[in-house]
Amino acid sequence: MFYSLSFVLLLLIAAVIAGFFGALLGVGGGIFIVPVMVLMFHLPMKIAVAASLVSVIATSNAGGSSYVDQHITNLRLGMFLEVATTIGALSGSVLALYLKDWLMLLIFALMLAYMGYAAFATRNVDDERIAAGDFARARQDRLSAYLDLHGSYHDEAADRVVNYVVTGAPTGMGVAYLAGMASGLLGVGGGVLKVSAMNAYMNVPMKVAVGTSKLMIGVTAAVGSILFFMAGLIHFYVVAPVALGTTLGATVGTLVMNRLHSASLKWLFAILIAYLAYGMLAKALNIQFHLHWPVLA
Amino acid sequence: MPQEKTSSPFIPKISKAEQKIYADVYDVLLGGMLLSTVLFAAGVALALIHPHYIPLTHDYVERNYNFSQVVHGLLALRPGPIMLVATLLLILTPVSRVLISIYAFYASRDYKYVVVTGLVFLVIVLTVVLGSLGLQ
Repeated sequence: MFYSLSFVLLLLIAAVIAGFFGALLGVGGGIFIVPVMVLMFHLPMKIAVAASLVSVIATSNAGGSSYVDQHITNLRLGMFLEVATTIGALSGSVLALYLKDWLMLLIFALMLAYMGYAAFATRNVDDERIAAGDFARARQDRLSAYLDLHGSYHDEAADRVVNYVVTGAPTGMGVAYLAGMASGLLGVGGGVLKVSAMNAYMNVPMKVAVGTSKLMIGVTAAVGSILFFMAGLIHFYVVAPVALGTTLGATVGTLVMNRLHSASLKWLFAILIAYLAYGMLAKALNIQFHLHWPVLA
Repeated sequence: MPQEKTSSPFIPKISKAEQKIYADVYDVLLGGMLLSTVLFAAGVALALIHPHYIPLTHDYVERNYNFSQVVHGLLALRPGPIMLVATLLLILTPVSRVLISIYAFYASRDYKYVVVTGLVFLVIVLTVVLGSLGLQ
């Protein structure tokens, strides 16, 4: 590949778009940028995963810091779940070193399919629960009680302080481990899994879950990146434009997100995800079984 | 039946020490991001001044890992080492965030969380150890 202005610009633009859509749809850029690098730029899967993982740290820093600044992030909850996500990331990235490319592509396609399903299956009932003061009245399990896991934040939409107690710590840890594993293996943030688990099983308001997840993604992706770095899988010439692009795209996307309604976005998301899942599946079958399914890119 | 623990709505109060944790975490995240962004941009710009063929293969990536030449390359403003340092900086940002948190929890005598955050740091150390043992 000739490292020309056009190559860098194309990769940069692709990364900006991936970061933008990622932020707009409330997922990291990773689930878009990995398929783009593999399907459009024909990069080897492991190099794409490693580059994406590094750029995930950048977007986590950018997005996470503003939630920390507004005290929406629950630092204690984050630190606690990070124990599970980092162990998950370590096992995921070790697995990535040994798995064949086509298997990683196949797993990536499956993850995309799950994400498409999850986008429609999850329902945000936070508004009603906040109005009822529900979040402060939950029974804590022993672990979350022992670790003083609770918090409060100012909800701008409801214009009130929302208090909440955290429940279901063991379940949360289990899901956090899986999310970390997905991150290390596939080069994504795993935010969707963590956010929905915190919201559904741990009695954490959506905004707190999003902010806390963003903070965790940084150190989780760092663990995977360290292993890939030491295994010699990080292509710096690819990482640079990808990290720059996703950071820029995610920053703009976050600004726009607050002014958009999500109903039509969900359909756009579903179509995009379905196509990328198909593309990754086709590529996996092509590598392993030399089947040629038509792909646009 | 386990004892019911219904906590009454508590007044949101954040101690001075805890506010400092938030401020420190914020500074580290922002600083690391800005510095690595500048270095990445510089690296890409320098690489584009003299465009050349760069293979997208594993072999090339491994050959590019020349730590003994990194310092020399930085002084000579070579794009590869600059982008390598930017990547390292990016990776180290959340790691230093973890270290700062350990200290901040220690300073506010929150020993439970010194242990919890210490565990996270231990996993990072384990990763480095496994990586240097040469998995692959």
